[in-house]
Amino acid sequence: MNILIQTIGFGIVSASIIAVGAMGFTIQFGLTNVLNLSFGGVMTVSAFIIYLTEQQAGINVWLGLLLAGVGAAALTVFLGKTVFKVYARRGTHLFEMVMVTLGLSLVIEYAVDAISRDQVYSISFDQGASYHIGAVTLSESQIIIVGIGIVVFLALEGLLHLTRLGKALRAMAVDPGLARSCGIPTNRIVNATWLISGFLCGVAGVIYVINSLSVSYTTGMLFLPSVIAAAILGGVGSPRGAILAALLLGLVTQLVAAAGLSAYSSMAAFGVLVIVLLARPSGVLSAAARKVELTL
Amino acid sequence: MGHYSFYISTLVVYFGIDLLSAWSLNLQYGYTGVINFAYVVFQATGAYVAGVVVLGSDTGAGSYQHYILGAHLPFPVPLLAATFAGALLSGVIGLFAVRRIRRDYQAAVMLILSLILLQLVQSDTAIFNGQDGITAIPHPLQSALGLSLSTYQWVYALWVLAICAVVYVVVQKLCRSSWGRSLRAIRDQEDAAASLGLNGTKLRLEVLIIGGAIAGLSGGLLVEYIGAWSPGAWGYAETFVIFTAVLVGGVGNNRAMLLGTLIVPIIVLEVPSFLPTIVYPGLIDAIEWIIVGLGWMGFLLVRPRGLIPERRFHAPRRLSSAVDRVGLLGVIAPVTANVGAPVDATAPAAGARAERGREEE
Repeated sequence: MNILIQTIGFGIVSASIIAVGAMGFTIQFGLTNVLNLSFGGVMTVSAFIIYLTEQQAGINVWLGLLLAGVGAAALTVFLGKTVFKVYARRGTHLFEMVMVTLGLSLVIEYAVDAISRDQVYSISFDQGASYHIGAVTLSESQIIIVGIGIVVFLALEGLLHLTRLGKALRAMAVDPGLARSCGIPTNRIVNATWLISGFLCGVAGVIYVINSLSVSYTTGMLFLPSVIAAAILGGVGSPRGAILAALLLGLVTQLVAAAGLSAYSSMAAFGVLVIVLLARPSGVLSAAARKVELTL
Repeated sequence: MGHYSFYISTLVVYFGIDLLSAWSLNLQYGYTGVINFAYVVFQATGAYVAGVVVLGSDTGAGSYQHYILGAHLPFPVPLLAATFAGALLSGVIGLFAVRRIRRDYQAAVMLILSLILLQLVQSDTAIFNGQDGITAIPHPLQSALGLSLSTYQWVYALWVLAICAVVYVVVQKLCRSSWGRSLRAIRDQEDAAASLGLNGTKLRLEVLIIGGAIAGLSGGLLVEYIGAWSPGAWGYAETFVIFTAVLVGGVGNNRAMLLGTLIVPIIVLEVPSFLPTIVYPGLIDAIEWIIVGLGWMGFLLVRPRGLIPERRFHAPRRLSSAVDRVGLLGVIAPVTANVGAPVDATAPAAGARAERGREEE
């Protein structure tokens, strides 16, 4: 019984890591309709930023986190404004866009590979004291990770529902044309989305490597499946859905691992996604069924 | 001379195998619009299966490798098993992956699958010997034919090319049949095609299975040539190479795959292996991948249909002359003829794709 509760505790930790990435992914996907596979590449970049700042230069971890977030946000905005915009202007289809983003991911990944000399770098990070919460024992850094997940969720919900920017974001996600004709500066809103999404992507990359303790050019691609699965599972554009889906995936992964089948834990998470695709495909229906266009 | 002969025969074998892969992906993406980012998984399935069914029961050579399905099967059976395994896995995955969901979701699901299955095979050493992979797979028939390695290389290259020729004929026949036309119909206008009674999900599933069979076959051929297979051989980026070959050659044009395969996997990825190491080992590989990625993005931007795109389909003369007389191509043809043939006649209504110039000669 204690093992079960402990496993649930670990599940919540991995859920928080997935959730931060999934919320960043889903908010951008919901608004621009770009299924952005280069998210993985950007996460790798942010993981290397924390490695270089916190591990090599000895900068405070919170400052490193901020730098990684800002770096990832800047990179994402840059890609959104240059690469994606160019393709959107050329009339690239939705399904071609997903191919473009994968190409971009490959380019970023191997650029990082070239710069990082094809090595895996280990991260030594003081996990802090252990705390006992009921039957669950978590390290300080794990508790902070859960805290970051909760703070990001609350901040995003607050942003979406309490501010004018959030209102504009939601309006644009529903109908970009109508939003534009109501005087919403759609261009600026899209920029804001890239910025938020990129920042969350950076934070997710950092807490992922702080938990997994190593970084290489494949880091982002290892983490990306969970992020996309949570975003699709939770329903596009919904931070609430993303956090629930992340909880489900995190718990399933940890429970399967605790049952001694750790090789199958990510497969089990994928199984959940498949069941959802089969049983409840609303929101993932074909573009013909729901009119969807690129908004850039 | 010996080195060059060895190198060139190896390139010929790789060319043939990549060509098979390109035809498989072209059938799926070019003709049907299925973005199969998990292609390499099916190739790997074929490779593993072809390997384990010749290695003998579990222990393998010297009992240092562990795997499922171990057996000692004679020459052509492993290839058939590989083909069947590729088709079977494609069928299972297709049951959920090619349903009527948005194509970008489909692509993402396939990519996730590719990444996760790789992790699975890496971490569960009981399936296909984990990270180390399977090795010591013998060359088929080398001892029976009594050939030296250098001669055998060329015999194997010819064997691969012969299989390519057979597969080409089959694929080309399929693509030109009414079944092939219905593939293009669901690719361009799924709603219109459905109104003619075409079942898009079923067609996509069939295409995935046929493509998976070719993928399994190519994997089997590859593993029997190189003699080993491990997770390092099937990262998601490998799918990308073949996809880039399809994009560069010409989407929906089987002959153009020759050009695409020559340019991308052979010239960009194989020829630089001649170059000496610069700065550190692995840098040239990384640069090659960046070039492939940029090439892929560049083609999607400038020529998303490739260098030699699909040619416009011409209806059989009998039908088209009849339609010329009637002059109501778009109205009568889809109704009167059986499914498939005249569906291209709906192209004028096909909107975006037609606007992008796909239909021009």
